[in-house]
Formats: sequence, structure tokens, C-alpha cells
Amino acid sequence: MRTLLGLGFLVLIAPCPLQLLAAQERTTVGGYGEVHYTNPTGPKSPPVVNLARFVVYLAHSFDDGLAFRSELEVEDAKVEGGQAGGEVAVEQAYLDYRLGDWITLRTGLVLAPVGIINETHEPPTFNGVDRPGFDHDVIPTTWRDIGIGAVGTIPGGSGLAYRVYLVNGLRAQGFSAGEGIREGRQEGRQASFANPSLTGRLEWARPGVKIGGSFWYGGTADTNAAVGTGSFGAPVALLSADARYESGPFTARAVVANISVSDARAINAAYGQSVGSRIAGGYIEGAYNLLRLVAPASSQKLNAFLRHERYDTQASVPAGVTRDRSLARRITTFGVTYKPTWNTAFKGDYQLLRNAAGAGELEVLSLGVGYQF
Amino acid sequence: MSIALALLLLAAQSPAAPPAKLAASIARVFGAGARVDTLRVDTTRVLRVSRADSLIGFAAVGNVLGKDQPITFLVAVDAMDRLKDVDILVYREPYGGEVAYEPWRRQFRGKRASDSLRVGKEIRSISGATISVHAVTLAVRQMLADLTAWHQSEAIR
Repeated sequence: MRTLLGLGFLVLIAPCPLQLLAAQERTTVGGYGEVHYTNPTGPKSPPVVNLARFVVYLAHSFDDGLAFRSELEVEDAKVEGGQAGGEVAVEQAYLDYRLGDWITLRTGLVLAPVGIINETHEPPTFNGVDRPGFDHDVIPTTWRDIGIGAVGTIPGGSGLAYRVYLVNGLRAQGFSAGEGIREGRQEGRQASFANPSLTGRLEWARPGVKIGGSFWYGGTADTNAAVGTGSFGAPVALLSADARYESGPFTARAVVANISVSDARAINAAYGQSVGSRIAGGYIEGAYNLLRLVAPASSQKLNAFLRHERYDTQASVPAGVTRDRSLARRITTFGVTYKPTWNTAFKGDYQLLRNAAGAGELEVLSLGVGYQF
Repeated sequence: MSIALALLLLAAQSPAAPPAKLAASIARVFGAGARVDTLRVDTTRVLRVSRADSLIGFAAVGNVLGKDQPITFLVAVDAMDRLKDVDILVYREPYGGEVAYEPWRRQFRGKRASDSLRVGKEIRSISGATISVHAVTLAVRQMLADLTAWHQSEAIR
């Protein structure tokens, strides 16, 4: 992260600790990105290389309390009409007004504070070339919408922090059997505010430990009375819990989520889908820094990791839908992440993609690089 | 190291801590009723803390850039150049505020300039606060080295 100020590179500690100096406007540029090489098993599936993400972070502080923050993302290197893939999207763009440690008011396009990866998705922060499948099919990462809310820490040294937002809701029209609520996101693109949704998170931190709980509740009917009526028509209710642990060379993380789509039957009738009435699952991952064994003084990391995901986007189905057992997925990923610095990563992993039906199973070798600054 | 730190540390126009917050921090670290004198080394102001005419330590306030905002912190050492405590006086960013939590700051206590202070080794990180953890650790290490060097060369005494 560089500060774009002429004097920004001078080292000068505490010129005037006993006086309150006027804050100055400042613009900050940062970014993150990742390049992937993916080689699935099987005939007619050649390896693919992809500039999966290129993201520019731009922030500006107007005074001591008011700041703008944004992320602009290009996926798959370029966007061209009539071609598959490719997306240019604003991932975040909001104004923060800081009243104190305990509360910052926030409004704009914000990230749903659900799970781990949705809010902390810079490639060096997670193992594995691609984000976990769970963070695609269950928690629809990157999940963002327009709204207003507050973030802060709960005073008194409790170690608790919260985020809570009122945002525009999902639209049931986009729901599907295989990807759950994913394509129901509106992502701030001329979004319907017919169904306001509430989302929030409470987390507790200690050195090496972070434990969080998140929720999302909101209607999805939009203007389709056949699906539901009222602000909370055809509600989606999500509950999720996550934990991260770090001790010496050992790190671990786990996430679980349960999403109930209580009016799945009406949604399926209206849009010809077979959306599950319950979407559920999670993953657990452990990693060990091998450099601790061979070069204990090094601050670099070579994490060998193993992750196991189990999730089902049709954990329950409404009447009239036959469960597709191939949607009950079991994904095992193992590999290494080499981090010469904390904010760069070279990754390699092997994935076993399995499901309860044993259909279309495959294995994937992936390589990748990622950075953030 | 010094170049990396130069990029991280903010310049003269960086905001300082509100005086009341600084006074409260000094009182918390050194106990109430301590006498505070302001010394100057080059461009840095160092607070000399004494009680009944005997030196009990030094403190200095610094700023380090987190993701996009300066983090205003205090480093306090005792008369034997051991780190007494670190305080986060003002934290301005939306994420990473866990560096202000006492269980994290506690890890620095008793350290000397000659001790190793590295994230992931002596200093445990906090998930979701990685940038702030690295920035504050680097800045505390530098401040501790400066205070120790100045004290041993009698630039402050």
C-alpha cells in the first residue's frame, strides 16, 4: 500500500505528540491478483491458464473520520462481447464515517460479512489455487450488495467486533439446484430493493484465534407475487460459523453454513428450477509450515495443507423435487503454498472432486501465483 | 529494512493522539502521578517519565500506515530499556482493530531491542488483521531500537 503524498516517504516519528494536528486528505492505491493453471483429468480437457483476478484497491480519506474505499475487479483478463468468461465489476465501493472505535457508519456497495473468504479474499490469505468450492456454491463469494450499516468493536477489551448492514436482497429468479442462491445476488447492478435484507457478523479474536458467527435474512420474491409477497416474501435465512487458528507452524480453519429457502417449492414452480429448501455444508483445513523443520529462522512459509469440503445444495428438497445426489459434493484438496513474503504466494494443489452419486467425478491439478499490496 | 519502514511510516503531517488519550496511556503504563518531561532527539519527541526524581522509563508516539490509514501507537520502555507496553492510541481503519486488544499487545512486554520480534514467531498474528499486525510489529521494533540506542548513547537520560 503506497501513500500518494509528496512527503509520504519521510520517516518522522511523533513530531508533536502533545498536539492534535489537522488530518490531511490522502489517497491510497493497492491491489491483489491471481493467475491460475488448471489441469483436469479426463479426455478433451486440456489444461487452462487464466488471469483469474486483477483487482485495484483505491481509497481516499477526506478527513479524520470520513473515508472512501473501493475495489475494482477484472476477471479472466478481458471482457469481450460474445465471448465466455470475463467480467469487470466493482467489488466494493463505500463511504465510512468513523465516530469511534465502537462504531463506524458505512454505506455503499459492501461485502456480506459471512464466512471467512467473502471478506478476506486476497490470494495470499488462503491455501489452494482456487477459492474453496464451498465459498462458491454455498456462500456465494464475492457476495456484495448495496446498503447501509455499522461496523466496530465492542468496548471494554472484550475482543468482540461486529458488522451489521441493511442491504438490497437476493432475487429467487437466479437460484439454482447446483449453485444455490449464487445467481440470486444483484451485486449493486440496478438492483431491486423490493426485499431489503439484514446481514451481520459477530467475531471474537485473540492472538492466533478468531471465531465468528454470521447471518443473512431477507426476502427474495422481488415483484413476483406467485413466489411471495411483502418485504420478506420467500425468505432466505443463512447462519454460518467459522474459526481460524494459528500456533507456530500450524494453522487451521473451518467454516460451516446452513441456508434455508423455505419457499423453495414456490420458487421452483415459478422459475422451473429444482432449488433445494436447505443448502448446507462446510469445510475444515489444516496446514503446517514445512520451513519450520528445515529453516526455523526463516520468515518465509511453505505451508503443506489439506482441506476437506462437504456440502450439498439440495440438503433438503421441497415436494416435487427428486434429490440429485451429484450435488452432495465432497472435495478434498491438498497441496503447498509457498510464501516468500506474507503478501505473495506461489501455490500448487491437487483436488479430488467427488459426489454422492459418483457422477462426473474428476481430479484437478492446479498451479497459481497470487499477491496483495 | 529501513526503506521498508520508510514506506510504512507516515510523515510529519500524520495525526497525533489526542492529549487526553496520551495522558491516560502514560498513566496506565507507568502508574498515576508520574512526572512527564518532553525531550527531543532530532525530530522525535520522547517523553521522559520519572517519579520522585528517579527515572522510571521513556515513551514515544509514532504513526505507521495500516491498509490505508495511519495507526497512532505508543511504545513505553522502562529505565532498563525493556519494553513496558505498547498502546494503540488511535486506530482509524475498518478492519484489523484487533491490534489494540490487550492479549495481542501483551506479547511485546519485556522485549529488548536485541530480542527478535517477528510476526508468526515471537508475535502471533491475528487472522483478518494481517496488515495491521505486520505494520505495528515492524514499527514497534524500530521504535524500541531507537529508544534503546538513544538511551545508551545518552541522547535521552
